[in-house]
Amino acid sequence: MNQRQPELTLSDDAVRHVANLARLAITDEEVIKAREDLTAIFAHIDCLNTVDTNQVEPLDHPTELINHVRDDTVGKSLSQEQVFSNAPAVKDVYFDVPKVLGDSE
Amino acid sequence: MNSIQTTDTFNAFHEVWEDVDSSDGSLKDFTIAIKDNIATKRGTTTCGSKMLEGYRSPFNATVIDRLENAGATLVGKTNCDEFAMGSSTEHCAWGPVLNPWDTSRVPGGSSGGSAVAVATRMCQAALGSDTGGSIRQPAAFCGVVGFKPTYGTVSRYGLVAFASSLDQIGTFTNSVEDTACIMQIIAGYDELDSTSNPEPTQNFIDDIHTPVDTLRIGVPSQYRGGNNEAPINDAITHAIDTYKELGATIIDIELPLTDVGISTYYVLAPAEASSNLARYDGIRYGHRTTESCKDLFELYAKSRAEGFGVEVKRRIMLGTYVLSSGYYDAYYKNALKIRRLIFEEYQEAFSQCDVILGPTTPTVAFKLGGKEDPISMYLNDVYTANTNIAGICGISIPCGFSKEHGSSLPIGMHLQAAWHDDAKLLRIAQMFESATEFHKAKPECCS
Repeated sequence: MNQRQPELTLSDDAVRHVANLARLAITDEEVIKAREDLTAIFAHIDCLNTVDTNQVEPLDHPTELINHVRDDTVGKSLSQEQVFSNAPAVKDVYFDVPKVLGDSE
Repeated sequence: MNSIQTTDTFNAFHEVWEDVDSSDGSLKDFTIAIKDNIATKRGTTTCGSKMLEGYRSPFNATVIDRLENAGATLVGKTNCDEFAMGSSTEHCAWGPVLNPWDTSRVPGGSSGGSAVAVATRMCQAALGSDTGGSIRQPAAFCGVVGFKPTYGTVSRYGLVAFASSLDQIGTFTNSVEDTACIMQIIAGYDELDSTSNPEPTQNFIDDIHTPVDTLRIGVPSQYRGGNNEAPINDAITHAIDTYKELGATIIDIELPLTDVGISTYYVLAPAEASSNLARYDGIRYGHRTTESCKDLFELYAKSRAEGFGVEVKRRIMLGTYVLSSGYYDAYYKNALKIRRLIFEEYQEAFSQCDVILGPTTPTVAFKLGGKEDPISMYLNDVYTANTNIAGICGISIPCGFSKEHGSSLPIGMHLQAAWHDDAKLLRIAQMFESATEFHKAKPECCS
């Protein structure tokens, strides 16, 4: 019915790959727990393969509204002070982050 | 304020606010608590997460402005499962919330704090959010009225996004009429939420006490199974009899996709969550690691690993996996196809009946720590998740008590109605409430 038979057991490497994609640092211990949990969840989700979805169009949103287009006018926006008010690190009028380009220090 | 602080031995509130003068309006007499994933300029908005500890929103959610303009007194922020992901309010960074009917049990979730605030009469009403049952399930566990409107009825502007195509703000109250009063204020189109319904707002109040003529109630065989605890099946049978006495016709219907709903939900909701929660990067707001990081990637990964709790990380990874290359079609796209089938199953059902009746949950409130494995926790939402998948409206109202576990624990009846039949759904719920006394019962602590 589906192009690919979902795999029922995830490898540790697959868990590390997903954590990497999701930008989550993960310890070896957490990898094991996540592998067990996700494997059990995928085993449960596998029942979706019993439903015949041939000839069915995906429905990604319950309203099926067409895109709203707004007038291109300037509206209210947050002040710079408000924007920075929750930032963990600010330098002058910029968010402060580690070096992005070139060799890391 | 003081009375809430004295009564709240349940950890329902993350923050209680000082009393301020409210403006005049139809909600002048209402005290309302706000789930902590709805942005308020007053106080903090933490979503029950260390990621947003101390976060102060520079703007109000649309619902907050509307409530304040209508004269409501907002009393504070209620605890919830982290980023609204959970069915027990145990996954809250500020500690678990306790069920006032039996403090060894959970209040349900994710809007557990809001349900408890209303059940204990610490306030008259509360706002929650419902992505797969997060209003209706805790309402059932705590013996209050919990309403999830049709998707798009209430603006989501300022509701911290979990799964945007499923999330909807709704209410907790001790009566259906109070639900109608609040809906009258918070419903309606909002240009700041492009998914809000542009049609004129329904009138929730005027006909609330007018029974629906020739009422047809659909009862799916899938909702009456052996998975339900016996007192729950008994209470539902009793509720059906009550509606029969009120003149309703009971129609046997079939919703065969009920069982695959949870699996569909646990593909779609985590997929959307993994995308929505990508915004927490430790840079513009939210937790940032104090460890030194050699580059941006490490800063993101460490900040997120420290800021998010275990259930949120699990769902982000699940969602990332089902959207990843090679698995998108098999999982995500396939779940979207099943979503259409669920949508069509409801269309067919509502061609036969006005409302679908069943239990809100298969069990009453369970013990704290009683559902350690994620799947048994997820299965709590077996009767509620499809409502969100299709985008229709649903309400849980008190319909009985179970004495099976020693203490007296509330049972919720779940009524679902078609898209934009919200006002009619409230009338149908009001018919039951007017004929019964269950909604008047209070936990011992506040009687």
